Amino acid sequence: MIKVQTQPFDVGEEHRALLAGRTDVGAVVCFTGLVRDFNESPEVQGLSLEHYSGMTEQALADIVREAERRWTLQGVRLIHRVGHLEPGDPIVLVAVASAHRRNAFEACDFIMDYLKTRAPFWKKEHTTKGHYWVSERNSDKQDAKRWEVS
Amino acid sequence: MSLTHLNSRGEAHMVDVADKTETRREAVASGRIHMRPQTLALLAEGGMPKGDVLATARIAGIQAAKRTSELIPLCHALALSKVSVDFTLNEADASVDVTATCRLNGRTGVEMEALTAVSVACLTLYDMCKAVDKDMSIEGIQLLSKTGGKSGDYQRSLNVKRPAGASSMQPDATSENAVVSKNGLLDIAPIVTGKCFEGSVSVALGEERNCISVKCLAELRERLGVSDINVPFTALLEPTIGGLKSALEQQDKRFALLREQRILCAVNQVMSAEDTLLTAGDEVAFFPPVTGG
Repeated sequence: MIKVQTQPFDVGEEHRALLAGRTDVGAVVCFTGLVRDFNESPEVQGLSLEHYSGMTEQALADIVREAERRWTLQGVRLIHRVGHLEPGDPIVLVAVASAHRRNAFEACDFIMDYLKTRAPFWKKEHTTKGHYWVSERNSDKQDAKRWEVS
Repeated sequence: MSLTHLNSRGEAHMVDVADKTETRREAVASGRIHMRPQTLALLAEGGMPKGDVLATARIAGIQAAKRTSELIPLCHALALSKVSVDFTLNEADASVDVTATCRLNGRTGVEMEALTAVSVACLTLYDMCKAVDKDMSIEGIQLLSKTGGKSGDYQRSLNVKRPAGASSMQPDATSENAVVSKNGLLDIAPIVTGKCFEGSVSVALGEERNCISVKCLAELRERLGVSDINVPFTALLEPTIGGLKSALEQQDKRFALLREQRILCAVNQVMSAEDTLLTAGDEVAFFPPVTGG
């Protein structure tokens, strides 16, 4: 299940939905990304998330498909919000279910690393001193590189 | 040179256009409304009490273009084939640029329609925002270009430098004054896309089939002041992303930005490289590195 939406999501609800009607799941790892009130500048008041509608859904589906190819998973729920968000708001949810915890931990980590470097989302931060587009981080690229197969 | 709206006795009259030949006419006009930075921020966030400001101003501009003949005494009523109104938000100097393009195949020019569209779109922006800011000022309403007709093509000189339309304020960790425009000065005249359809009838489908539809996203859109532009497939010397960049640069030198190493590109929504092959009708998006999650 992949969703790009402006509305907030409820982690508990997504967690329950992932497990609904099944008893073969041994582990669920849920990652939630939140809006910080500091980033490249202090006093971040909010941010706008833009995306490339159409390509976004495609890119997220590719990432989940790749995770399912690499690990044995029993379900993935991925939600990314767009539009205006304020500090403390949840931005992204990755919930991965598997029979064993290692697969769930690694697949969740992998999905976030690839999402950060491959899915067409852009953040613009609004601070007390003005607005600016968040620049890419080298550490995100390095994190994604860890999953490259030689 | 004589004024065409005055007859030999100096009286106002409407020019008889019955015998003029029909040509493809296009005019592009622009204007700007300055406001307080807080007003612009509220506008950008959709927080204005009267609702969606830009959507309303766009419709107002389009409606106004169609009714120009009712406002300007000696203007002919025209069956416009296209009116578009676009907005660029400039955070650097707290303003909104309004650009209008009008087009038709006909006997008279459409610059009055484009200028009217810009004027009324600016007035509507004022009306939509005046509850929070009465100091706004409208300025620089001007014709940028016109093509077709006996008097020939006109293109406003692009040499006049105006403050950056790009909003990319680059935070500087070492300075208290973190608000610095990254590119300094940038020409913000809109890019004329009319070349694409020269001589053809404005049926949207036919146009798009022979063009590459280019999108500029996020920070890149704001730096260029362009979100969508059609490039005729025949303008590409080679049918690749590299060829498309050259064709765009030929059209406007600002597109040299696309050569920056960090700018990424997708063809039909799939990540692509410089040598990816293109065919007519493809959608090509250029954008900066992604920052989601």
